[in-house]
Amino acid sequence: MGGKSKSIFRLSMIMLLSLSVILSGCGGNNNAANSGSGNNGKQAESGNNTGDKVEPLEITAFIGEAGQQPTPDNKIYKKIKDELGVTIKMEFLAGDINQKLGVMIAGSDYPDIMTANTKLTAAGAFIPLEDLIEEHAPNLKKHYEKYWNMMKDPNDGHIYILPNYGAYNGEVSTTWYSGPAFWVQKAVLEDAGYPQVKTLDEYFDLIAKYKEKYPTIDGSPTIGFEILNYDWRNWGLFNAPQHLIGQPNDGGVVVKDGKAEIFADKDSAKQYYQKLNEVNAQGLVDKETFTQNYDQYLAKISSGTVLGMFDQHWNFQTAEDALTTQQKLERTYVGLPLVYDKNTKDHYLDRPALNLNNGFGISVNGKDKAVQILKMWDRMIQEDWQKVLSWGIEGEDYIVNEESRFMKTQEQRDDFTDATWKLANKADAFYKFSPKMQGYFEDGNATDAAAQPEEYKAGLKEYDKKFLEAYGYNSYVDFFSPAPENPIYYPAWSVDLVEGSEAKIVNTKQNDLSTKYLPKAILAKPTEFEAVWSDYAKEIGKLNIKAYEDRINEVLQWRIDTWTVK
Amino acid sequence: MDETLTKKSAFRKPKKAKKQPITWSLIKDQKQLIFMSVPLLAYIILFAYVPIWGWTMAFQDYKPALDFGDQKWVGFKHFKFLFQDDNFLRVLRNTLGMSIINLILGFVTAIILALLLNEIKKIFWKRTVQTISYLPHFLSWIIVTGIVATSLASDGIINDLLMKLHLIKEPILWLSEGKYFWGVVGASHVWKEVGWNTIIYLAAMASIDPALYEAADIDGASRYSKMRHVTLPGIKPTIVILLIMQVGHILEAGFEIQYLLGNGLVVDWAETIDIFVLKYGIAQGNYSMATAGGIFKTVVSVTMLLIANWTAKRLGEERLL
Amino acid sequence: MANQSISPGHATAAAVNRRMGRRKLEPILFNTFNTLFMIFLVIVTLYPFLNTIVVSFNAGNDTIRGGLYWWPRQFTLQNYKAVFASGTIYNAFGISVARTLLSTVLNIFLTTMLAYTLSRKEYVFRKPITLIFILTMYFNAGLIPGYFLMKDLHLINTFWVYVIPSMMSAFNMIVIRTYIGTIPESLIESARIDGAGDFKIFWRIIFPLCKPVLATIALFVAVGAWNQWFDAFLYTSSKQELSTLQYELMKLISSSMNANSNPAVSNGAGMTQQSISMVTPLSIRAAVTVVASVPILLVYPFMQKYFVVGLNVGSVKE
Repeated sequence: MGGKSKSIFRLSMIMLLSLSVILSGCGGNNNAANSGSGNNGKQAESGNNTGDKVEPLEITAFIGEAGQQPTPDNKIYKKIKDELGVTIKMEFLAGDINQKLGVMIAGSDYPDIMTANTKLTAAGAFIPLEDLIEEHAPNLKKHYEKYWNMMKDPNDGHIYILPNYGAYNGEVSTTWYSGPAFWVQKAVLEDAGYPQVKTLDEYFDLIAKYKEKYPTIDGSPTIGFEILNYDWRNWGLFNAPQHLIGQPNDGGVVVKDGKAEIFADKDSAKQYYQKLNEVNAQGLVDKETFTQNYDQYLAKISSGTVLGMFDQHWNFQTAEDALTTQQKLERTYVGLPLVYDKNTKDHYLDRPALNLNNGFGISVNGKDKAVQILKMWDRMIQEDWQKVLSWGIEGEDYIVNEESRFMKTQEQRDDFTDATWKLANKADAFYKFSPKMQGYFEDGNATDAAAQPEEYKAGLKEYDKKFLEAYGYNSYVDFFSPAPENPIYYPAWSVDLVEGSEAKIVNTKQNDLSTKYLPKAILAKPTEFEAVWSDYAKEIGKLNIKAYEDRINEVLQWRIDTWTVK
Repeated sequence: MDETLTKKSAFRKPKKAKKQPITWSLIKDQKQLIFMSVPLLAYIILFAYVPIWGWTMAFQDYKPALDFGDQKWVGFKHFKFLFQDDNFLRVLRNTLGMSIINLILGFVTAIILALLLNEIKKIFWKRTVQTISYLPHFLSWIIVTGIVATSLASDGIINDLLMKLHLIKEPILWLSEGKYFWGVVGASHVWKEVGWNTIIYLAAMASIDPALYEAADIDGASRYSKMRHVTLPGIKPTIVILLIMQVGHILEAGFEIQYLLGNGLVVDWAETIDIFVLKYGIAQGNYSMATAGGIFKTVVSVTMLLIANWTAKRLGEERLL
Repeated sequence: MANQSISPGHATAAAVNRRMGRRKLEPILFNTFNTLFMIFLVIVTLYPFLNTIVVSFNAGNDTIRGGLYWWPRQFTLQNYKAVFASGTIYNAFGISVARTLLSTVLNIFLTTMLAYTLSRKEYVFRKPITLIFILTMYFNAGLIPGYFLMKDLHLINTFWVYVIPSMMSAFNMIVIRTYIGTIPESLIESARIDGAGDFKIFWRIIFPLCKPVLATIALFVAVGAWNQWFDAFLYTSSKQELSTLQYELMKLISSSMNANSNPAVSNGAGMTQQSISMVTPLSIRAAVTVVASVPILLVYPFMQKYFVVGLNVGSVKE
């Protein structure tokens, strides 16, 4: 049987080769395959140069999200191969992760390392790493020291995954906010004389006044407020209430004193949707807001006619970019941390938490290579490699000025947004999921170009400088209150609800109900709002919400017990 | 050898006999037919029927990490979840509604278009129209629904046109009302697939004996009566067979288009069985639930297929079996 | 002329023309209507594809504004550059062509052969075999059992997993069988009297006579095989050199969407505002669609020459 299949395989390869040579003409990529296998000998030699010698190693990796293969001559992967002796063969996912994981698990077909997924962990696909790290990877151990307990699996206490984000070095400061907020066009604030906007009522008053004054923008009707609820991009409709009562982003629940509770059917939510109902009656909400798709939403924003919306910044980033290229800077947005009443302190900005269930783990099939793999990461977590992975090669990808600050030329900045360039010059796909330093290097430079204050200032436009000056702020983040210390269990949204469990099903059903009833409530005549709302609350009441809340509370309690430093 | 064998079969009449007993001589007689079909039968049994053991998953809480023997058996739990859900009947209604609309619209438009294309005498023009009309088939639903949504927007081309023709005073928000949704889905299907669906009829028309047209011409038949009495009967077997097969797919209303065009305001009209099973099956990692949904659809399909086939038989039409 | 007969150049055409001259108005009206309708159809069905091409040649951050219809506003090749950047798609293209060709040839031959046997009313196993095939259209064993089968057959991570599991389709078989049913029985009978066996009849008579329907089926199979990505996703995804064009393009689209989605990162890492990417998921998707579909679109015009009325049956009879 084995022999037969081998010969079939060989036959197919021969046929393939001949076909692909014929069909793809010269086939420039044949070189890639050849150099891939022919390089091992060379690495061994060049490996001698570095202090930390690692045996030549080929690692197969499964990346649980879409990505593109780097070019065969990618300079960072080449450096990794030359200096660390490691070749990384990556497999990216396109298509449905649940389907792929189903067959991978059923067939136990795992590559050496895989990105985290609770299904894989539950299936026993990863090996425990805590002892191996203690023994073989002192730098990794140091990197994760503060977070060690948090990395443990809630079910059996082993460490299977090395979180890719959230292990910080030094104070975290930021100049760029990509999270949720009520956004408003800069022109609206400018027109009103740069007021301080704190509450929801003030916000909509401002929008109403502006819309009245300027019924059209560039010839198109002015749109007061947008609410996007398309596919999985549903926070535009769902998430605002928790922020309005001064709570941070915990997903579908509000956590008070370590106890989680849904807010979707509570009065705090009702107040928000009633307000939306009211402003809709005033004609401030876009008529098409609930039928539009994501592309249409972006098109409206990038036309400059939308005055405000509740959203996460990254979600409409491309539309804002389009406004910038059109030189419509006054149509770009400021995030406002609104609350219901002035006495509530806003909590939009949060401190980064450890990115649980993200990052790489080593599979049972990669067990034999585990030590070597950990040694590789142990080497990579050191500053010299972190600089290479994050900033690139000095002189080529960034420059160091007289004050030994890392900077980029405009050309280098442009390169960094060019996906094509990155395939040849960055190891993004691998770096993204690997353990990494965040915050600052020992020399004071930010680990990430985007967080380097000089870089931020250099990119600031004249209009924005003037705008910030009017408020006396350094950056747009100053509109938000500084992030307080996170509660130990934060954030609740990272709780794994467990696929197929009652908690998960209830959560899905609750989202279905919200998707169906909230638009109805907002678009209803103000006199009918109460009726729709009570239908909605009644339907939610029928669900076993307790199962959902219990699951979250159970994990939060576990976190409090395990993560608290004793 | 060939000689003797074929000599014998020369006398073999295509018997319209009913219930002929299978005898050795008959099998010997039909040796070549058997050689030509039985290996393919073995093939299809291996690739299509052997994996059906997987249907046992519908009666388990299947976990891919466990061996077959370690799975937990749960009886009809997943079927109960499916049938007892408050939304099940609504989802079933939507599936049937959209599927029937698609079926009727799909057949009628494709046949009419094929007939009209057949009337074009300039070969180049005919082929150009054919080629262009099948282009949308190659676009994914995400692109097509993108264009549909833009066209149906309040400032989209459809509303523009209707306003200019003074048929409406205010733009209609087509995607905000359940009553339009099935129609939008049906029309989108026609738009995307009509050209592609005609291909099969055009091929069938190629088999019509030109002598029939000549005879009709000599009788002075009009274009319409030739269409009616020559072309349509010529492609009728194809139409009937495709119809029977399609009736079996009555629960296949798709999910992509509904998913992409649907929204909270029309969800009561947009959600299909496939979406439901996707949401509570695969998306929850619940393969058992997905399998249960599949079994339900198969049972309905086969029932419908047999009914359709039986009806065709009663009507004296071409049939599948 | 408005009222030409069906097969131009036929001897009787002129005579028919004269006779039909009496009722000229109706055909003129009909043809005018028909032409207008076809023009409408062409516009409506050309638009989506043309629009996709327009988007693919337009700068991504401009496309986002919407309102792009028949002509690019800011011409760019950037989207195509991004599609071809990683270089993996050349090999994938070769694989896709290979699997498409092989599948088409195998399907046509095997399906027609089976269809012929099942069209013979005297064939003893006709009914059971037909039923067994037809049922396959209406069930699906599911992902995981299918995967186990491929694994047991050692097809995982081989090229053959693209070809072997889909060598036949019941639907195509039925379509061909129906077509064979329209071939006059007398042709088969006379061949039999001349001493031909079933295989010979199939190969020498049925096969050539079925050209129009085989052209159709070839198109169906080729388009299906070309557009297939699911098998690459399930069975060969860990072997880059076996990846198909559709799967590579699929990865490209998802990764461009990914790049624009949640940075999943606190502190907004990766999101700089100083430089703006020209390429967006929308424009990548358009370029990908064009790259993926143009090669297979070229098949149809080539097939069309087999769709001429009476091409085969008529010629055989004479």
